[in-house]
Amino acid sequence: MNVLGELALWIALPVALLGAILGFVAGHRQRGDLQLGAERSVYAVFGLTILASAGIISNFLYDRFEYTYTYSYSNRELATWYKIAGLWSGQRGSLLFWLLFLMLFASIAVWTNRRKNREFMPYVVGTLSTIASFFLVVLLFADVNPYLKLGFTPPNGAGLNPQLQSYWMTIHPPMLYMGFTSFTVPFAFAIAALLSGRLDSRWINITRRWILLSWFFLAIGIVLGMRWAYEELGWGGYWFWDPVENASMLPWLAATAFLHSIQIQESRGMLKVWNMALVLFTFTLTIFATFLTRSGLIESVHSFAQELKIAYIFLAFMSFIVGSGIVLIMWRLPKLKSENQIESFLSRESAFMFNNLILLGILFAVLWGTLFPLISEGVTGTKITVGPPFFNRVNIPIGLILLALTGIGPVIAWRRASKQNIKKNFTLPVGIGLGVMAALFAVGVRPFEEAEGVRVFSQSHAYALATFGIASFVMSVIVIEFFKGTRARARIENEPWPIAFLHLIERNRRRWGGYVVHAGIVVMFAGWAGSSFNVNIRQTLQVGESAVIPSPLGHDYKLTYEGMSTTAATAANANSNLAFQLVALLRVEKDGKVQDNLTTEKRGYIAQDQPTTEVGIDSSFLEDLYVILSDVPNMRGAVQNEPGAQTATFTFLVNPLVGWVWYGGLFIAIGGLIGLWPTLTGAGEPARTPTVAAARPRRPVPAGAAGD
Amino acid sequence: MPKNARFLVGLVAVAGVVTYLIVTGLTDTMQYYLTPSELVAKVDADPTVHDMGVKVGARIVPGSYVKTAAGVHTFTVEDPEKLTVTMPVEYEGDLPDTFNDQADMIVDAVLDGHYRNDGVFVATTVLTKCGSRYEASPEAIKQG
Amino acid sequence: MSLVVGAVLLVAAVILFILQPMLSGRRVSLLRDMDEPTEAESRRRVTLLALRDVEYDYATGKLDETDYHAMRRELAAEALQALERVESEVAAGPGGAAPALEEEIVRLKTGLRAGTTCAVCGTDNDAGSRFCAYCGSPLVPAAQANPARPGTA
Repeated sequence: MNVLGELALWIALPVALLGAILGFVAGHRQRGDLQLGAERSVYAVFGLTILASAGIISNFLYDRFEYTYTYSYSNRELATWYKIAGLWSGQRGSLLFWLLFLMLFASIAVWTNRRKNREFMPYVVGTLSTIASFFLVVLLFADVNPYLKLGFTPPNGAGLNPQLQSYWMTIHPPMLYMGFTSFTVPFAFAIAALLSGRLDSRWINITRRWILLSWFFLAIGIVLGMRWAYEELGWGGYWFWDPVENASMLPWLAATAFLHSIQIQESRGMLKVWNMALVLFTFTLTIFATFLTRSGLIESVHSFAQELKIAYIFLAFMSFIVGSGIVLIMWRLPKLKSENQIESFLSRESAFMFNNLILLGILFAVLWGTLFPLISEGVTGTKITVGPPFFNRVNIPIGLILLALTGIGPVIAWRRASKQNIKKNFTLPVGIGLGVMAALFAVGVRPFEEAEGVRVFSQSHAYALATFGIASFVMSVIVIEFFKGTRARARIENEPWPIAFLHLIERNRRRWGGYVVHAGIVVMFAGWAGSSFNVNIRQTLQVGESAVIPSPLGHDYKLTYEGMSTTAATAANANSNLAFQLVALLRVEKDGKVQDNLTTEKRGYIAQDQPTTEVGIDSSFLEDLYVILSDVPNMRGAVQNEPGAQTATFTFLVNPLVGWVWYGGLFIAIGGLIGLWPTLTGAGEPARTPTVAAARPRRPVPAGAAGD
Repeated sequence: MPKNARFLVGLVAVAGVVTYLIVTGLTDTMQYYLTPSELVAKVDADPTVHDMGVKVGARIVPGSYVKTAAGVHTFTVEDPEKLTVTMPVEYEGDLPDTFNDQADMIVDAVLDGHYRNDGVFVATTVLTKCGSRYEASPEAIKQG
Repeated sequence: MSLVVGAVLLVAAVILFILQPMLSGRRVSLLRDMDEPTEAESRRRVTLLALRDVEYDYATGKLDETDYHAMRRELAAEALQALERVESEVAAGPGGAAPALEEEIVRLKTGLRAGTTCAVCGTDNDAGSRFCAYCGSPLVPAAQANPARPGTA
């Protein structure tokens, strides 16, 4: 299996190259026979990649530590599930995993289009195979081959980082990779549109669902990553503006902008060049994100020679994509003319354009902040970094403008809106937003902090108050929109309200799914704003002692340290990686009433010398109580259960509204699914006159001449 | 056309606000990211660097970790490229789970803090990167 | 030994899978399929979708009555134009259009002009109807020869 897998990887490269050549030649010469071969080679590379991946998984399952990759990310005691997940635990495997998803999506795209959109397909196959060839070259020649051998067989592996031994961590990377790789399909169709010359909205219509799918996976992947950080990293937060986090956010921002701007092209025939540039940019960012997360270029304190090699290969490929993309767009510029002009400044088109600008603004701020250490080192020779303060400073105000636009866009009509109408539609939501701000101010959410009797202006509190106001404005716009739509439909169709509501969504799932996503974003913003009222208290307790933690919501928590239990490695868990487990038990009282028990742990793992921490979280709708077992001074004594060794230092956090971040993520997922759900009857789109289409004879349309 | 002019104004306004925020954000929050030897050289050239918040990327010297009676974590870091340059560190927070000073480990740390006049680096945050450990060279594995 | 055999078998299988259909003369089509919408048709579809949005925006109070009527007329005219382009595309095809199809298009065109054919679903309605009997959309006559607004071709 392992030898076959490695062999498959080597065979895949010439096959992918062949597919690329056959595809482009088939398109250029209009040769259907070559195209058949090109499509077959896509399936063949997919099959070979499955073999190669299966080989890696078998290396993990059969503990073949003579392979560097298996040695580095596994050991005999590792649970089977994490051995399978070993395929994507490290750099070497995850690049193969990337290729596996790419070929899966490429095969789906080729298969579903085997009888339609034929004029695009040669170039689509050519582009997909080119990208696959690139990743194969990286795998085989950039010192990241997962089949590299150590030259001897160590008795056991080094083990998997315990922080990665988490349920979230095994599904978070696949989601992100699915998001990255599925965007390759829209990109390939865009290139095919440029090469074939059919530059109307057809390529967008074909790939609309792919774009949404990619966006959906990215969004889910990012939220899962945040959830993982919150539960496993044990510092109480979920986003640190780490380069790896930023890398996943960049293509998501670009894809969000793209999802909005294609709607203008579809409905108005405008922004054709912009959309081409955006699809090119988004795809480059997915490659860039893969590169950034997997090369370690930015995080590493110093550069390693081997990492520079992969960096050069990636940089060369990204320049190739951008360069050839620009050349193609320039070449087709005459055909990318806008069919319409914006009719009015007050129109949804214009709101969408500002949405695009602001999303790209955030994107550039994040990109710049992420690359700044590299740029400054290249220019001045000294590495200069920026941290979360920079990103928060720049992105919070821009993000708030974006949030407000989310509320403005839906209320403005397409083409042109009148001021009176805008006034009429905004009065109530703006009133609600201001009302919520006033009410919050009254109950104590104020833009200043009181320290020792002195009032100090607090920027973060001011931002939080503004966020709550804008969020309630946007939320009321969305709710009113759903209400009005349902009412209008109930009236016109004479349907009962619940049915009218369902039909309303059914008839235009993209619009209403989009509004549900917007609602999710609003809820998430509120969750972020809540974090500016976080409470953080550190206290050392003996068994039986209590800590009193004030919540920003006004009540007090009293946590009593009840005791510590210890589990040493026993026969029962001999097969697991766990060496010992120290569990501290705390009784939680809220305003004097016993509410719950929380546990927080230190765990020792075999092959890991330093224990890890498991936090205790008590979640409620409005806040989380988050307890970290920070330190056990006499760890050895505590493990031996010696009397008096149980003294422990805890960090108590109260995180208001943090749950809303996850609820928001759920809304985003639901909204995305509403938009993605396959249409069964073509409902939601006006019927085409069937006679016209059916009676039209098949016309030979050479790809080069199409669209003239 | 006034319509286009309004768009242009909007575009310039958005671009201006973003640029302004990036530029001021950078100047207010940027930090040197140095290796210990670079930090020592900087301090020699300009003593005011002592008071500046800096980021240091360094490697933890195996076996150097001691926790004082007062609960302060102390350890020594070295320059990964110039092993002779070392620097004592004091830190009063929670060490990350991946912090390690075992002899067979290579643990890189990113420290936030300032370099006190007495030559001790006072860290306010400690992040560890133990990536090197996983991709250790075969020789290192054999010895271990 | 078995390794070499396995490798040879794998390579042979891949080569056979890709090259065999090509060598035996099989081919796939590279032509646009007949029931795929042409550009003109997708334009028409988009116009109809825009009409639906205008209806919705008006029903939910986002459009003035004057704007609403003006836009409906423009969009109906655009839909008509697109239909004419579909017609000319079909006529340009090999062998011209079938007589039945020409009749169909003429019927649609006159219906749209008179305001009896529903622009949203294509149903014919009795003269004088204000709403489509099939889908309930309001019926309006298309503006004749739209006084070319710049860029609304």
